[in-house]
Amino acid sequence: MKAEDAKGMDINMGIIQNKKAYAVFLLPALIFYIFAVFYPIEESIRLSFMKWNGIGAPKFVGLENYAAMFKDKVFYTALINNLVYLVIVVVIQLSVGLLFAILLTYMKKRVTLVKTLYYIPCIVTTVAIAQLFRSIYSTEPLGLLNQFLAGVGLEHAATSWLANVKTVLAAVSVPEGWRFIGMYMVIFYAALVSLDPSVYEAAKIDGASELQILFKIKIPLIKEILLLTLTMCLTGALRGFDIPFLLTAGGPGNASEMMSTYMYKKAFSSNQYGYGSALAVFIIIESIIVVYLLRKAFTTREDREIKQMEKVQRKQRRSGK
Amino acid sequence: MKKKTLKVIFAIVILAFLFIQVYPVLWLFISSVRPSAELATKPFSLPTSLTFQNFAKVWSDGKILGYMWNSFKVTAISLILIVFLSATAGFALSKFKMKVNKAVYSFFTFGIMVPVQITLIPLFIFYSKTGVLNTSMSMILPQVGFALPLSVMMFVSFYSFVPNELIEAAVMDGCTPYGIFVKIVFPLARNTVITIASMYSILIWNDFIFANTFISDSKAKTVAMGLKDYVGAFGNIDWGSTFAAITISILPPMIIYFALNKWVTSGMTMGATKG
Repeated sequence: MKAEDAKGMDINMGIIQNKKAYAVFLLPALIFYIFAVFYPIEESIRLSFMKWNGIGAPKFVGLENYAAMFKDKVFYTALINNLVYLVIVVVIQLSVGLLFAILLTYMKKRVTLVKTLYYIPCIVTTVAIAQLFRSIYSTEPLGLLNQFLAGVGLEHAATSWLANVKTVLAAVSVPEGWRFIGMYMVIFYAALVSLDPSVYEAAKIDGASELQILFKIKIPLIKEILLLTLTMCLTGALRGFDIPFLLTAGGPGNASEMMSTYMYKKAFSSNQYGYGSALAVFIIIESIIVVYLLRKAFTTREDREIKQMEKVQRKQRRSGK
Repeated sequence: MKKKTLKVIFAIVILAFLFIQVYPVLWLFISSVRPSAELATKPFSLPTSLTFQNFAKVWSDGKILGYMWNSFKVTAISLILIVFLSATAGFALSKFKMKVNKAVYSFFTFGIMVPVQITLIPLFIFYSKTGVLNTSMSMILPQVGFALPLSVMMFVSFYSFVPNELIEAAVMDGCTPYGIFVKIVFPLARNTVITIASMYSILIWNDFIFANTFISDSKAKTVAMGLKDYVGAFGNIDWGSTFAAITISILPPMIIYFALNKWVTSGMTMGATKG
């Protein structure tokens, strides 16, 4: 869970020297992993240079699929939709998750119970969540959302959320955002309570307010966890599939099309396996770029963080005297 | 005075969010025992009477048991493979003195970044050639493959707490590497095994994307897929049966979650922060 073992774990410290036993222990997992994860990557890349409808022999077409992709209007629609989806999902998950993690640190009783209950949506299958939101958004019979709007006097805002081109994208993003709030909250909470209280107790004695302590000390100290969760959250949203696919299948038209739902349709509905593979390769490149950029952001932040820690400690020592 | 109002506001905020997180799931349960007629007119009020007709209907049509069995099969076999493969590979990577360890370890961890969608087309083609489509095996392979990066990481990080002196002593006593694993190291990893098993049992049970891609025969369908099927089969009118089916299908993960709460959350948290 600590960031240091995620990256700099010293792996080369075993002592058994027996090549045969080593192979016996390692190879089954390695072969399974290569076959399930790397063989498909290799095949996707290969297929992305082919034209194939599933029957007969695939035809090599070079970069044609990629050229077609960059000329495809739906591809750009999906890309932009995916970005909007990503922003909504990330904002909901991280901001609400952090807010409630902070609130829970001020709770004295029943924290575990509340945490356990907040987490429940994470363990419900996406198919059930899609069904749930389908009825929340429904107009006939009147769903929870439209009932609520009517109740607070906003009848005119009621709409058929999943059929309306203007609202559908937000309507498929919110369930995905909602579903993982609990998980991010648990992560942030664990990070916040693991902080050494002496660091901020000192500031308290110096007369810092609760809010100052929160924004100037606690949040900067968990910055690393914030960036880690951001990576997780972003790559998760870039692959978003289940809920948009189940709720609208990308519709109406392409109003809620994601990269992955578009890929899925191209491959399995239109039988354009080559083009679908090109889209799949694009998704993987996209994810790797995001992870790479965020990891870079990490390392520079980390250095600054160490300095910040030292500063806090110095301050603490001074106030301790 | 001010402090008291602050306390009340605090409690209201916590409870309001609790409502947002729990009510929707509770609503699924309530809807499953609500008479169908009421579902159409006032689906969000408390039910005036309880009925188990929805459950009776779903049960009598017999499909759901088959779906549950398929889900169970896929989950159980995947779990055994995940635990066995990652426990052994983790042992190799952390307790053997090999130069390639570092490279192999990064190779495994790279998998965390790979989106599962990349496997769909190639595996679909491979399966249709070899006749694996519509079998449990078609889901087990990618489930295990994509679980390995994280589970190997978790075992490696656990084994790093097992002191090398312990293994050295065992070697002195003439214990083989296999003996060390079976008798000493693996029994110590109980918590890691429970963490991985509880977390992946929920994730695999809930899977939709692999099932939806590789399974079309209703004999091989899993519960998550079956739910989609129910909506179609009963049309949009009979929501009652749908909710009953949903309730039946989300009970197993709920039971695991409430029984092994600590392990499930610690596993998923680890999954998040190690990515």
